[in-house]
Amino acid sequence: MNKKLYTIALAGNANVGKSVIFNQLTGGNQIIGNWPGKTVEKAEGLIEQEGIKIHVVDLPGIYSLSTYSEEEIVSREFIAKEKPDAVINVVDASSLERNLFFTLQLIELESPLIIALNQYDIMENKGLSIDFEMLSNLLGIPVVPTIAVRNKGLKALFEKSKEVIKNTKKVKPILYGKEVEEKINILTSVIQKEIDTFYPPRFIAIKLLENDTSIRAIIKNPDIIALAEKLKKGLIKIHGESPETVIISERYTIASRIAGQVTKKKGKAKINIGDNIDKIALNKITGYIILLGLMLLIFYGVFKFGSYFSELLGTSFELLKPIFIQLPLPPLVNRLLWNGFMIGIIAGITIVLPYIAPFYLILALLEDSGYLARIAFLTDNVMHKLGLHGKAFMPLIEGFGCTVPAVLGTRIMERDRDRFIAAILATLVPCSARTVILLGLVAVFLGPIYAIIIYALTFILIYILGRLLNRYIKGSPTGLVMEMPHYRKPVPKIILRQTWVRLKDFVYFAFPIIIAANIVMEIFTELNWVVPIANFFKPVMTNWLGLPPLAGITFLFGILRKELTLIMLSALYHTSNFAEILTPRQIFIFGFVTMIYIPCVATIAVFKREFGWKRATAVVIGEFLGAIVLGGILNQALRIFMP
Amino acid sequence: MGKKMTLIHLNPGDKAKVIGFSTGHERFKSHGLGPWSKRKHRMGMGLARRLQEMGLIPGSVVEVIRNMPIGPVEISVMGTHLAIGRNIASRIYVEKI
Repeated sequence: MNKKLYTIALAGNANVGKSVIFNQLTGGNQIIGNWPGKTVEKAEGLIEQEGIKIHVVDLPGIYSLSTYSEEEIVSREFIAKEKPDAVINVVDASSLERNLFFTLQLIELESPLIIALNQYDIMENKGLSIDFEMLSNLLGIPVVPTIAVRNKGLKALFEKSKEVIKNTKKVKPILYGKEVEEKINILTSVIQKEIDTFYPPRFIAIKLLENDTSIRAIIKNPDIIALAEKLKKGLIKIHGESPETVIISERYTIASRIAGQVTKKKGKAKINIGDNIDKIALNKITGYIILLGLMLLIFYGVFKFGSYFSELLGTSFELLKPIFIQLPLPPLVNRLLWNGFMIGIIAGITIVLPYIAPFYLILALLEDSGYLARIAFLTDNVMHKLGLHGKAFMPLIEGFGCTVPAVLGTRIMERDRDRFIAAILATLVPCSARTVILLGLVAVFLGPIYAIIIYALTFILIYILGRLLNRYIKGSPTGLVMEMPHYRKPVPKIILRQTWVRLKDFVYFAFPIIIAANIVMEIFTELNWVVPIANFFKPVMTNWLGLPPLAGITFLFGILRKELTLIMLSALYHTSNFAEILTPRQIFIFGFVTMIYIPCVATIAVFKREFGWKRATAVVIGEFLGAIVLGGILNQALRIFMP
Repeated sequence: MGKKMTLIHLNPGDKAKVIGFSTGHERFKSHGLGPWSKRKHRMGMGLARRLQEMGLIPGSVVEVIRNMPIGPVEISVMGTHLAIGRNIASRIYVEKI
């Protein structure tokens, strides 16, 4: 090892544990979970050891190196262009055949490989064992068995990776059947002479035979294309199938042969508890009852927990007030300190934290256990009506935590059209900040049933909008193709870490904003700007939406972070007993409008990055107008029930 | 035989051999496909390829684990469980064995 910085990439099928290995190796904070498609962007981390730096890259999970989805392009180009010093191919030991299919393609990319034979425990539960030395010999690649969630085998994996970096020996190619191999060789020899790219010639030859359009596009020489076409015709003639089918099935034949050779039956398979759970959890009747029950349980649980601790913390902090008021400081400074700074901190702790902390914990549990993918399965049909498929449910569920990763997470959708629809709908899913308002304001002061009504209204809105978007955005929806993850007993350490990763974002990112906003608001009050600004909003706020004019200011702050609407309300009126300042109807309208009126700045930014200014602006304006129009109509309609 | 079957026509526990994919417009009697079945859209080459890469190669044997009346079909193939949306499942020709 003579250079200072090395790169190791983690590659493999979706949901085999790449991100877990990444986190364990680098101490990184990749969001992990037991469902395919969490990692949509490559993540990077650094290990420093004995004077050398190793740059670890976690690639999105893929099944092939073709260019069906964006993740596959990202991963393929990274491995081919950046030429990492070692590629750790994470393999799910419990489904070796499927995973080796991908390994064979990595071998074709001619990168220095190590196999991490992960989820070794699940395989043993199936009553199987793998002769990994034989596997290593057959493939010509070092193999290390690991159980990443329990941090087993990872040290050995890391040591082996360093060895692979040291002695870069070329992996010998795995050979196809005679006819295919003949054609690959003819093409390879021509490509070797004619073309110079970062892809190995043999890889290009195989991909050309497989009808890979993006590889075809980089071949400028028409003679090679013509030759490839001629060879493909030859394959069709012999096999009677399309060339890609021939190559894919030969690759699977090789994978099956190797898997069969190295896998041994060892003892009896334990009864697969997961299959039995699924008999109930995915049943056409009980499945939906459990899903609905679980959702209500989560809602009530978070609400009860949150409101209890919110009140407890609130009363404790009140005790601090006399101490601050009596501080020997100029009155102005004193007011800024208490009304601005301290109230900001207290609001963050008492109004927001008690609700989002348990919420994130439950989200992590859902993700890690494997139930999230079951929700996708159960809701596929509803999603289809929205012009999406069940996989869209996963970013949408993520949206209950925060909209930003939800919009990013829509990358698991294969097509731009589906992504765009999913992302718009994701902005409307009540994120944790909005849940705070529903629980902390509507549920506490009006009753939980009203919060559920607003939830229901939001979902109906999402449903109608989804159907409309589906009708008016060109194209038809693709369908669901998803590998069902195994159920896994959640590992406490991983759950807590996951919860903390999300919570940390709130503490480090949102807290400063909340405090700053409170101070700004206090300055507004000192300068007597509050009333003029409020009057500006009065026509819409009061006459149309029936809210107090000051609500306009809180909505303005709410663009920064949605929970600021509630925090600013308490700052403006110096109370968190909202029943004193708002009528029941106002509470309801306030809650509803906050749900939908505009995505927060962070969401707008990520939306712009993913979809461009035009679409981002359209969504912001659309949601803003939609909220005002619908909020107003609702206000007029509610006059009958809530005077 | 003669009668063409697709994945949605199978019951849980049935085993079947994959024959091919519908890339044309032909439709089957709706088996809980809902209004979508009226839309004409065929399986693109990309999707057919993806399914093959997931192990649904012509000739391979799959077992149906679950067939939701209006939802997806779950099958076991290459040692893993795969959930396939109803619309796609209705375009995968199989032969019951």
